Amino acid sequence: MIGNDIVDLRKAALESNWQRKGYLTKICTFNEQQLILEAPSPVVMLWLIWTMKEAACKIVQRKTGIRSYVPLSFNCETVQTDSSAAFGKINYLGEVFQIRSEIKKTFIHSIAVSAPEDFEHLQLHYLPRSAAYKEEFNNLSKFYLLAGTPSGLPELTHQLTGQKHAVSISHHGDYLAVVYSDSLLLTD
Amino acid sequence: MDREVLIAAIKEIAAPYTEDKTALDTINEDTDFIKDLKINSANLVDIVLDLEEKFGIEIDNDSMAKMLDVKSTVEVIEAKLAAHDRK
Repeated sequence: MIGNDIVDLRKAALESNWQRKGYLTKICTFNEQQLILEAPSPVVMLWLIWTMKEAACKIVQRKTGIRSYVPLSFNCETVQTDSSAAFGKINYLGEVFQIRSEIKKTFIHSIAVSAPEDFEHLQLHYLPRSAAYKEEFNNLSKFYLLAGTPSGLPELTHQLTGQKHAVSISHHGDYLAVVYSDSLLLTD
Repeated sequence: MDREVLIAAIKEIAAPYTEDKTALDTINEDTDFIKDLKINSANLVDIVLDLEEKFGIEIDNDSMAKMLDVKSTVEVIEAKLAAHDRK
């Protein structure tokens, strides 16, 4: 399975006051708080770690079908960054997820998978945020058809094989990301 | 405290974090903060902090875990207020 999460940094700056009393301690472990406060740009590190946690959370929710708001249970074990990318690991109750992230001036985007080799056949498309993003994706895609299930989950079908592929969609502010795998199926 | 009063308080607190004013106007126990009010998950913690301040309660992580919809949030506040009264 795949999970992904995107944060529009301009919107986040308007919506969230992360320096508010109690904010960091409710969503970040002690180690994560230290990483954030010691980073050259604390706000970038915060949203990087947040998108890592959320990306892993989406896999867990999809697997279990259970939603709960437990950011402290998604523990960022390692994160290595340069100015434009990052990779790390999120541990959820002993289960480890591999994370890759892109750090842009205007947004941060993270992808979570279960095993490092799952990254190999991943496709990532950034689309303009609009109500018609599925049509937009389908116009661009040669083989895949993106649709939604009645319960609101995305569903990606390869039109030649009829197989359903692993897919994850995230959006925030001006940005929308579709991540899918050419090899992983929905049931993987 | 009356449930209607609690829901009204939750509505007021959630208002700055939702762009879906129509969904906010029809808020009820079944309203989901993320699915219905389209509140960003990074702002759910603001709602938790605002509720702590408004009601003078402390919301632990296990309680926060459930606070994705109005019904569970009402139940958490009621339980915390009751625990507070017993002290």
